[in-house]
Amino acid sequence: MSKLLLVAVTAASLAACTAAPAAPQQAPGIPRAADGKPDFTGMWAGPGFAHTGKDTDAATVRRYTEANMSAFTPAGKEKLYRKYAGNVRIDDPTAICLPNGLTRQIPSPYAQQWIQTPTQLVILYEYMHFFRVIPLGAPNRAHAGDIEPTYMGDSIAWWDDDTLVIDTVGLNEWLLDAYHPDDGSSRWHSDKMHVVERLRYTDGKNASYDVTLDDPEIFEKPWVEHWAMQMKPGWKILEFICDDNDRCRGGNCTAADVQKPGGGS
Amino acid sequence: MKIPVAAVLAILAGSPVVAHHSFSTEYDKTKPVSVTGVVRKVEWRNPHIWFYVDVKDSRGQVTTWGFSGAPPSFLMRQGIQRDAMKVGDVVKVDGFRARDGSPNASGGRVTFADGRSVFTASPEDQRPD
Repeated sequence: MSKLLLVAVTAASLAACTAAPAAPQQAPGIPRAADGKPDFTGMWAGPGFAHTGKDTDAATVRRYTEANMSAFTPAGKEKLYRKYAGNVRIDDPTAICLPNGLTRQIPSPYAQQWIQTPTQLVILYEYMHFFRVIPLGAPNRAHAGDIEPTYMGDSIAWWDDDTLVIDTVGLNEWLLDAYHPDDGSSRWHSDKMHVVERLRYTDGKNASYDVTLDDPEIFEKPWVEHWAMQMKPGWKILEFICDDNDRCRGGNCTAADVQKPGGGS
Repeated sequence: MKIPVAAVLAILAGSPVVAHHSFSTEYDKTKPVSVTGVVRKVEWRNPHIWFYVDVKDSRGQVTTWGFSGAPPSFLMRQGIQRDAMKVGDVVKVDGFRARDGSPNASGGRVTFADGRSVFTASPEDQRPD
């Protein structure tokens, strides 16, 4: 597989487009690690839930908001919106159990578990068992110069006061979100996509989750989606096997045993 | 069979109709189906639960319909457990037929004999009106 040499992303270029407004006073009572940093370790209902404040919660498919998007580049809108093609690999690759990719995984309506140490952050996603191992280090440092493009990209993280910043490049050209052919098209980003996640506790159990999307092939400038996540101490990651019982894949159903002549119970 | 009222309400108040990760590739939203029958089997498995309903037509012929519902995790996190639907339950199911014309469908809504109406489709699924 060929490798893509990515231009290292520098601190200066990031700071200009992702810096949050002046940080509000940090909410009291937030979990803190031994090193004094906010501790995101725990089970979370990400942006893909209603956030009821209870142990039960409703999975909610969220998509990026068009009103939040920057103006398009001249060819941007055509690259973002791909008309229904009658090809599942274009219309919705997840229908054949291919991955969400990072930008769609962030609002995935499944649980996620975060494990934070002073030097790294591990995120375990229930959906398709994806995981991210993210090194924590100096703010605005550069990514490695030679990154294999992947569905989840190359993520590095740092602290900006009490805000956790996760910076990702090295993404495949892939789905932006769960926008669907029933909406007239699917939505895709380019392999130039640069994602910055900024997380900050708003109280002891809730965190704001701002996602800055910078895709110069599609958008004229970076733009931000404001989401949130909520801690769910009573939850655990469940097994999710996409291929397990996907009985009507591509519209061709396989008869279950009880549907066959003389089928059992 | 008991489903907490709060859980049922949560499902009824579910998210707006947007497409399931595979809905439009598997099911036809222009072909609604509504059947009443006896639950024969429930598969509480990923990526979506499936349940099978024996439906008898006017000539006494029985067809076993298969319905796809929400992922187990979606239901469990709303307080719906795997025994919410049992073999032998009489249910009315409204959904949308599989594109291949087989007796399979997206099971958008299940109504039990006592009148309780529960959506079993994923929040991503097309739901019957």
